[in-house]
Amino acid sequence: MDYSKFVDAVLQQDDATMNEQAKVITPVLIKFLMVRMNASVHDAKDCAQNTLLVAIEKIRQGDVNHPDALINYMFTTARNEYLNEFSSSRELNYDDPPEHHSNPADQLNKLVDKEKMKLLKHCIESLKADYKKYIQYWFQHPGYETSVVAEHFGITVNNAWTKKHRVINAIKKCLDKKI
Amino acid sequence: MDNSREIELRNKIDAYIKGSLSENEIQDLWNTFAKEPELLDILELEVNVKAAIEEEAQKQVNSSAATIQKLPTWTWHAAAAAVIAVIALVQLFRIQTPTDMNQFLVQQIKPSQVEMADGIRAAKDMNITTADSLLNLGFEAIISGNDSRALELFDIVIEKYSQEPYGSKAYLNKGIVLYNDGDYESAVSAFRETLKRVEDSNMITEKAYWYLGNALVNLGQLEQAQEAVFNTYQMDGIFRNPAFRLLKKLSDDLGTTDYEEFNSTQLD
Repeated sequence: MDYSKFVDAVLQQDDATMNEQAKVITPVLIKFLMVRMNASVHDAKDCAQNTLLVAIEKIRQGDVNHPDALINYMFTTARNEYLNEFSSSRELNYDDPPEHHSNPADQLNKLVDKEKMKLLKHCIESLKADYKKYIQYWFQHPGYETSVVAEHFGITVNNAWTKKHRVINAIKKCLDKKI
Repeated sequence: MDNSREIELRNKIDAYIKGSLSENEIQDLWNTFAKEPELLDILELEVNVKAAIEEEAQKQVNSSAATIQKLPTWTWHAAAAAVIAVIALVQLFRIQTPTDMNQFLVQQIKPSQVEMADGIRAAKDMNITTADSLLNLGFEAIISGNDSRALELFDIVIEKYSQEPYGSKAYLNKGIVLYNDGDYESAVSAFRETLKRVEDSNMITEKAYWYLGNALVNLGQLEQAQEAVFNTYQMDGIFRNPAFRLLKKLSDDLGTTDYEEFNSTQLD
């Protein structure tokens, strides 16, 4: 995604290009909020929408124009939007002080799509036997370094990575066909 | 996208899923996703593949759980009658016998005694080394009954990653496998090597002394065994009670009974 195109579209009031670009940015912001802030889909959609409006205003004012700065600005704004929403809609209970002050862990499981899961399982089942065995071993032993997986299958570390990417590509291809 | 860059980014995605990226690395990765949303699709796909595989594995575990089969009632009556008959026979032929040394020995060392990677408190703190992974794989091989594979893995740790704590852990684990295989001579060497290498770990030292003592008794080297078991007792750890009982038996057999040093009222 080329953010300079988005900046140009905003400055030139090219609504068609702006909407096209927004369609690409919005899902990224939604997933960012769901994974990194543990936001619900509904809250994430609202915050992503607000973030885009704030970012467009900022571009119009000429405050942000560099693509990298725009990306950072949008993530920071999305985070702040969500935190503001979160703190105003939920009353804090001071009787139960938090046990720690660290950031909560990322909620990658929020990316799990139950509807896709059935198709995905079918695609995993239809993999070649050695591909299937390999990817099952890979994800069932997340604590193992790649060198250990490589040794288990009697291949080099580079080949272990290559094989993993090949299996993922094969699954993706299968899934794309089914969707 | 350049092939090597794509591989690098996909490796980062893998590390993200496994929880081994720092906060800054995660944010950098999200900045990359913003520029190249197709990489976010890969992340999403891999998270889903992982979830699907975990779900299937869980299903298999649940379906392979033991099923309860009810025996007919008459079998319980038959079993009870058999037990009564055996007790009666044992009472009839019971004679006082001296204690057997085997009663005080460890017959099989449990897999729970095997040393693995240290515990990890949070996924983000995860910094597991190759040696840790090899130790964990060795444990898995033991659990699967593949002792020769376990020995191979521990030998790799000894050969390539022998710095502490890995060297002493690998030797201890090797000793445990050899002990369970009945190769007491090799087990003794492994436990002695553990004791030479171990640094700042009372747990490993205590295990090594205790199993060394047991292996030496199995080899009939009772005096050396007595010394090793005494060292176990002195460590005042989890093997203190069995060590005391074995020491008592060894002292009786060797005719060196002197319990003055032991607090036998607490232990016996």
